[in-house]
Amino acid sequence: MNFKSIYILLLSIWLASPLVFAQKNTSVKLLTTKTEFTVGSHIVLKFKNVNNNTPLLYCSNSYGTTLVSGTINNLNLEYTLPENIAKKIGVINWKILDKNYPTSGKLYIKPKAEVATMETYIGPPSIEAGGTDYSMLVVIPTDSLDNPVPTNTPVKVKNQFLNSEEVDNVFTKNLIAFKNIYSKKQDGRILVSSEALGTNSKEFTINAMPAVPTRFKISYSSPHNYADGNQITNFTTSVIKDRFNNVVSDGTYVDFFIKNAEGNILKTSGLTLNGVANSKIIHPDHADNWSVKAYINGMAESNIITLNYKQVVKDFNVAFTNKNRTISVGPLQSFMNQMIPDGLHVKLYIYSNNQLVKILTKTTFNGYVYFNLKPAIYKNNNYNFKIETAGITKQFNKKLW
Amino acid sequence: MVSINKNIMRTVLLASYILLIALIVSALSGIFSYLNTGADRSKMLHTEIAKVEQYLPKMTWESLSNEGRPMDKENLNALQNDYLDAWYVKQIAYKTNKTAGIKDYYTEHARENLFEYIELNKKQNITIEATTLKHNPKLEFFSEDGQLAVLTDNNVKEYKRVFKNDSLVYETTEISTYKVVFLLEDGFWRIRHMVKEDEKDNTDIPQTSPLNNFKIKGINYYPQATPWKMFGDDFSADTINKDFKIIKNAGLNSIRIFIQYEDFGKADIDNNKISKLLTTLDIAEANNLKVVLTLFDFYGNYTVMDWTLNQRHAEKIVLAVKNHKALLAYDIKNEPNLDFESRGKDNVIAWLENMIVLVKSIDEKHPITIGWSNTESATILKDKVDFISFHYYEDLEVLNDEIKHLKNLIPNKPIVMQEFGLSSYRGLWKPFGSTEEDQANYHKKIQEIITNQNLQFMSWTLYDFVEIPKEVVGRLPWKKRVQGNFGFINQNGETKPAFKYINTIE
Repeated sequence: MNFKSIYILLLSIWLASPLVFAQKNTSVKLLTTKTEFTVGSHIVLKFKNVNNNTPLLYCSNSYGTTLVSGTINNLNLEYTLPENIAKKIGVINWKILDKNYPTSGKLYIKPKAEVATMETYIGPPSIEAGGTDYSMLVVIPTDSLDNPVPTNTPVKVKNQFLNSEEVDNVFTKNLIAFKNIYSKKQDGRILVSSEALGTNSKEFTINAMPAVPTRFKISYSSPHNYADGNQITNFTTSVIKDRFNNVVSDGTYVDFFIKNAEGNILKTSGLTLNGVANSKIIHPDHADNWSVKAYINGMAESNIITLNYKQVVKDFNVAFTNKNRTISVGPLQSFMNQMIPDGLHVKLYIYSNNQLVKILTKTTFNGYVYFNLKPAIYKNNNYNFKIETAGITKQFNKKLW
Repeated sequence: MVSINKNIMRTVLLASYILLIALIVSALSGIFSYLNTGADRSKMLHTEIAKVEQYLPKMTWESLSNEGRPMDKENLNALQNDYLDAWYVKQIAYKTNKTAGIKDYYTEHARENLFEYIELNKKQNITIEATTLKHNPKLEFFSEDGQLAVLTDNNVKEYKRVFKNDSLVYETTEISTYKVVFLLEDGFWRIRHMVKEDEKDNTDIPQTSPLNNFKIKGINYYPQATPWKMFGDDFSADTINKDFKIIKNAGLNSIRIFIQYEDFGKADIDNNKISKLLTTLDIAEANNLKVVLTLFDFYGNYTVMDWTLNQRHAEKIVLAVKNHKALLAYDIKNEPNLDFESRGKDNVIAWLENMIVLVKSIDEKHPITIGWSNTESATILKDKVDFISFHYYEDLEVLNDEIKHLKNLIPNKPIVMQEFGLSSYRGLWKPFGSTEEDQANYHKKIQEIITNQNLQFMSWTLYDFVEIPKEVVGRLPWKKRVQGNFGFINQNGETKPAFKYINTIE
């Protein structure tokens, strides 16, 4: 062959090759021109088919991937997409699995403009009154096939509080719609609901709780101001409110700190009811000065009040009998010379050779206390005794025999 | 008679009563003890699940600028973990067509969508092996109470293999964008809605990075005492330095070393090993030697579910070495064609192809190759690698023809004979083996062919070894002995006659 004929041969092959390719590509030709479908429609992809074979169709959507077998109908190759693929929004990408005629494409499944359910989430469920704290309402409106609705679907957010009823319009974005609901100055319940395309959610409640308490006052009351170790002093707070004049929530914990004359701290506490907390403490059994301040931990505190308790037991007798082994203390008399009410503590310290041997504690009965020192425990010897009650101390040196 | 009958009757009745009562008591005690065994308290909070990394695609979060509550690190981490677990259980479910695990990561409504798919695919015997290699999530929304989140996962790189009746019908890599709504339920971030918003073809076409006129004249290297476990406890910088000097003085310019996948900690790379690797590279640089780094040695499981872990392994190593001056090239895998039969040829090739893409995405500077064990396989992925490597332990008579043939098939890329050699073992296990003279002749001859063909080369290997790990050639002593005698330097540290031909004779 001469050079010219080779050249012509090569040229003709080169020219013919795109024709071959073009023909190949048209063997399976998509007839379905629609690429957008409403969710839930019956989707059939039709192809013009020359070869009469039925390759598989690969298709994949938001949730998964599958293969669809084709059928031949009137010389067309048809693929009916499975229902579970047609009923979900998003992109479907497909491809004919035939190496010779690769045809592929995309379908867009559009959401329906309808709302079947209003999936609503609200939180936090309780917020602080005062207009700065807020709760967030998130709505996922979905259609009857459980698909989120199109972007920019209007959602009405309605709320009612005391005398005001408000409606706000928000729009879906990123598959959801949300709205911050702010508290007002007053405490109370905010009722919230939402609506999209005529479908309403159920009612939700946000609790606007009173804000942090502010400074408050305390007062006390008691039957008398004698230190009889028997009567009870009652502490009361004023009505505790937040800075917007809302009475604090019931059950707010109030601690009363009492500092006595020796600098020790006593504590009592109570819970508020209608803003007022009460707390009780028994009178001291000896003269004392108390200064009292109440706190709501970390939030608020009260003024300081002072209380004076007067001594009731001025003096008492101690008698040693029965080989000094029975010690009677009394009569212990109160402010009107009446016998002190039962239960006043009397302590007996027993020392032997300046070593503390034992502390015996008893409470008064009918104004007296008796200590019996058993010979089996306290051998015959010299002992020092210290008797302490109502803040008064007396000392004795006695021989037991 | 009457009284005997009566007694029998009584006995039977009495026995039956006792039996009945015994049965009732045992049944009641059974119920009672069943009711007393409650759920194990330690299992109430899912705290007992030991976290093993199963699925580690590349996650690149867009900077946080979401609506709603500001996101914190802990919550984002929990969200990411559960999101990846959701992908993982989905992949497993579609691979096996079973629903295990799905309900932990998809809400009651969302899981229906997966169940329907599984039912559909099960009926037609379709299974899908898939993985995601890259995610670029952007947090769109986080609710004030921290119970609901929305993210857009941009350009998720999904690799899928679709099987029908257990035969592969389609393999694809897709780049998709998803919008995902999560709800925090029972301590799990569960997917409520998932919408694929966009899909496009994979456009990851890696750049080529040529060898740049460097002509490889090298050798495969393991220290004599620690072959195949170079970076173990016996790592010695002095030994390596001494050996590199021998190699340099022999006139060679490069070495090939190996990174063992499990030894380096799989996806969770052991930093200690990395520092030993870097020390080795430093010593190579000091001796003016270039290094071909062979990744994934002793790795043999190419399953799609393993890919994300493999890629994290490669990523960390490449990141550690990519700016090192001694680095010459990456060898993705040593002799992967030997795994074709057991692991499936297309599976192995797909793995290699994706690994090349990954390594190139981190280091676009250094060339990549694959160390094929023979010339026939060397054409596989020839367009993806930067230079071709093959190993040759066959007859030298046909080597010339083989190389000519290979050059015809791949005219435009450098060809490196990356492993060759002859064992000089003749002894109890192989009485008619080659002698050291034979070995020297072999190297002399092959160097002639190398010169004639203008080949680049890396011979096997510097030393004779005593201990050969069973992973290399198995436990059989005749294989081990042979494998141990490929060196140019014998076990006593003396050069063998072949040492003269370690390099091309100029």
